[in-house]
Amino acid sequence: MSCSTTDCLLELYDEQHELEDYQSGVPRWCTGCGDNAILAAVQRLCRDEGLRPEKTVFVSGIGCSSRFPHYMKTYGFHGIHGRALPIAEGIKMVRPDLAVFVNTGDGDCCSIGAAHWIHAVRYNMNLTVFLHDNQIYGLTKKQASPTSPIGTKSNTTPRGSYLDALNPLSVTLGVANASFVAQAVDWIPESLFEIVKAAYHHRGLSFVRILQRCPEWLSKSFDPWMQDTDRIQLLHHENALRLSAGLSKTYRNQREHDPLDMNRAREIASSEDVIPVGILYQNREIPRYEETRQTGVLRTIETVRQGFEAELDKYTV
Amino acid sequence: MEIDLQTNLAFYLTGKRLNDQLDAVDGLNLRPALFSGYRDLTSLRYDFPLVLVDSRQDGASDGPCFEPLSGLIDDILEKVAKGANSDRIGKHVLRLEQDIRTQVTRGASGRFSALWDQAALPLGKGDQLIADSLSHARANLKIDGEVVDCNAALPYRLLGHAWHINQTQRALQFGRDIKRLELKLTDIIKADFVNSDAGKSAEVLRSSFGTGPMDHFDFEAMSRILAKSSRRDSLSETRRNRVTNLLATLQSQQFFPMSEANAGKPYGFDFDSCVDALAAYRQRLPKLIELARAVAIAELEIKGEYNDAKHDPLFDSFGENGLEAGDLARFPDYLVRLNAGNMTGLEHSTLTEILAVDLPIKILFQTDDVIEESPLGNGHLAFALRSRQLASMSMGMNGVFVLQSPASNLCQLHQQIRRGLDYPGPALFSIYSGASPSCGELPPYLVGAAALESRVFPAFTFDPAAGRDWASRFSLETNPQATLDWPLREFAYEDENLQTVAERMPFTLIDFVACDARYSKHFARIPKTRWNGALTPVGDVLAREDRGHLDSVPSLNMVNPENSLQKVIVDEKLIREARRCRDMWNSLQELGGIHNSHAERLLAREKEIWLETVDLAGAAAASAITAITAAAAVPSAATVPADPPPADQAAEREAERSPDEAYIETSRCSTCNECTQINDKMFAYDENKQAYIADPGAGTYAQLVEAAESCQVSIIHPGKPRNPNEPGLEELLKRAELFL
Repeated sequence: MSCSTTDCLLELYDEQHELEDYQSGVPRWCTGCGDNAILAAVQRLCRDEGLRPEKTVFVSGIGCSSRFPHYMKTYGFHGIHGRALPIAEGIKMVRPDLAVFVNTGDGDCCSIGAAHWIHAVRYNMNLTVFLHDNQIYGLTKKQASPTSPIGTKSNTTPRGSYLDALNPLSVTLGVANASFVAQAVDWIPESLFEIVKAAYHHRGLSFVRILQRCPEWLSKSFDPWMQDTDRIQLLHHENALRLSAGLSKTYRNQREHDPLDMNRAREIASSEDVIPVGILYQNREIPRYEETRQTGVLRTIETVRQGFEAELDKYTV
Repeated sequence: MEIDLQTNLAFYLTGKRLNDQLDAVDGLNLRPALFSGYRDLTSLRYDFPLVLVDSRQDGASDGPCFEPLSGLIDDILEKVAKGANSDRIGKHVLRLEQDIRTQVTRGASGRFSALWDQAALPLGKGDQLIADSLSHARANLKIDGEVVDCNAALPYRLLGHAWHINQTQRALQFGRDIKRLELKLTDIIKADFVNSDAGKSAEVLRSSFGTGPMDHFDFEAMSRILAKSSRRDSLSETRRNRVTNLLATLQSQQFFPMSEANAGKPYGFDFDSCVDALAAYRQRLPKLIELARAVAIAELEIKGEYNDAKHDPLFDSFGENGLEAGDLARFPDYLVRLNAGNMTGLEHSTLTEILAVDLPIKILFQTDDVIEESPLGNGHLAFALRSRQLASMSMGMNGVFVLQSPASNLCQLHQQIRRGLDYPGPALFSIYSGASPSCGELPPYLVGAAALESRVFPAFTFDPAAGRDWASRFSLETNPQATLDWPLREFAYEDENLQTVAERMPFTLIDFVACDARYSKHFARIPKTRWNGALTPVGDVLAREDRGHLDSVPSLNMVNPENSLQKVIVDEKLIREARRCRDMWNSLQELGGIHNSHAERLLAREKEIWLETVDLAGAAAASAITAITAAAAVPSAATVPADPPPADQAAEREAERSPDEAYIETSRCSTCNECTQINDKMFAYDENKQAYIADPGAGTYAQLVEAAESCQVSIIHPGKPRNPNEPGLEELLKRAELFL
């Protein structure tokens, strides 16, 4: 008896949306940019899940990827550099009924926003976070980012970058309360969509790192993996994603991986030769911060006023 | 034939004592031998008395709504009896427990804390150590409530209490929902006011500023500016009326007790008659539908989704065909507590009506006497007939939750009771109190337990919400030794030579009937001097299907008040009745999956086939068994069907396509815009924003080849040129070769 007649009546005239209902403007991204694939997958998710535009928010920081909210005909917040996550947390805290998505880039999340990133993972609020990782600062025309591979020549590292790249997957898996960590690549749209969908359905902070091509500033970076399909390792499990026939035909390198196995997830996250694609870790039992903080008290004007007065009374002389 | 045997047989066959060789059992105060250890229940730590645990105000209590006294005492001891004083505290608290139990058995009533204090006072008076132990323990008494013993009033009180807790939790949830809806609906009206001219008047603006240096502000100017600024449309009259009416309906509801704003007195839902309950239900139904409708509309209204044209017709006819169980689940349930002794014909027919049409009514049907004579008279017996009829009728209706159990066993059924009260539909709780007036001194707890042991009043649950088949719905799990016809118990006694004799004997219907003074004529005591081999234990006689050779009579072990063993012979009428009782039990067992005849036949057939296979080829069969075992141990893809992979439509399309045709592997497209930038007539995006060739004639072969070359994921295949006269074809074909 999951749905009573009345519940069904209430949903009878729910609006059906088309992909176009979520499209807004023509993306200013370069032709060939992987952000386009992410946008298409997310718009498809919104349509398939029947997300109501007025109940959906996309929050971003600064960078190419952070133009994302402009192209979604939903609510959006184009924030400041590195601060997408705290803004999204604030929104979720006061409006838990909204679907909140975060689009952030490798510079935005892993450099200036790194502190917020760590704590957002620990808070495990019900947010869907997409890390658009093109391994370069694109909007400001090619500077090395924390995820640029060692030796990347850029305007800030003309002799090649000196440090090993930061691995966003390993970092996230190392934070307490991590509940959903996945990796996708923009050039396999089917698995990108499936992972985006699983992330949306996960209750808690779902962190999806999407490896994304930058045709303008780092055009050859992913060629070795794109040209050799065996260097893409598809993760599958009965409790995570299952592979379609078409996908398993093209990508032969497959690995069964239980998403509850943290140790194995960390091992997979540090693969260098192959790019693992799929859900590395998922634990549905970890509590959501906004739920643990819920008091169940209805916020009427009176309760808010009483609360204020009680606080102020403490300082009455 | 010996004279003794003749006398015995005559009694066995006719129930008449022909001479004084047999003693009437009236007045001997005998009880079944297995009861010999249960003379004084107050010295035993058992399930009773129970504490009807108070509901917690936050409604979050997941614990049982009643708990045995001994369990609560154990919990307290676990907290306090630690360290050096643990033995002393334990001993003193257990003594207090026994005192409370004795008081309650003697008729004392009250709350656990009050009874504790009453019992602790005299105990602690003379002894400081006892007073110290008890006050330590008393500080840890956190769970409180009324204390009840197992007696005629128990089913009524216990079910009333459990139902009350359930309703309180529902009321809390409903109250929260109503408050939320009220708040949001009021917000709609308030927001409209703030937007209106009146809302922007200088007066209103001033009053909204609270206190402070008001002369710093020019509210007139502020009002003028605000009035000029663009204003949103105000609420339509229809919507305003609708919202006001919804608020009125929500605030005047009488189904749950609400706070000060509540206009009417809340309805009562607790009845002692089906007729009254049904009349109340009918009378309140229109109000109920109105409230359910208001809640539904309010949900749409606060989301701003209510659309007059679409929703008006939908809600005009709301509830015309009644409300279904799922919709009723948030409203209060009715409780009707009946006693089998007071049932009239009208009550019976109304009860059937209620159970048949899925009304949200919970029924307690209490029986105080399960072995009454049939209304037909003439000595016809109708043991447990009424409860059996009612239970099987209810289960036959398929939508009724049924729980049957003696009161003595209720403690173990708290989860099932909760499930029954939560069940969205009618529930029947058929409870035998054990307080039969003809059972003499035996405490109701013992009589109830005996009814369960002897299968006269088996315990079972039928939960339609648990699944669709009998295996999931029906459970016999709380019956003792449920796989046997009669439970077997150890019985030990001393013979004339003071040697211990131990035997296992069944507890049967005969033992149960032997407790009841009304049926004493079916029993006759044999003096010890005439105990001989011609006496067969009742259990053995019952195991036979017929009378057999008349060379012995069934005898039952009983004890007198001095606890010395007596042998009593039983007449055939009771033996027949006992077999009937066992047959009834067997058919319940079948429903519960024990010795299921269909399953056993199937098993026998399969075994036969298997044996034949073994005979045919021993070695081959052996390997087959290994294979079967392996398959059973590892649920591989062969045994567990995996989800079928999504249909590979792309592959199908590929198969149909001619090799000369240009195409895109659409499902692999990463939406990078490369191709659509080259020619957006030739290349287009589908409903998932992935590219396909919309019109191969809309551009040149050169564009196709260029698109194939610039595609990031190399999924464009240009095929063969459509126009053989296109310039530079030779070179293009060469370039296209890479993508064929």
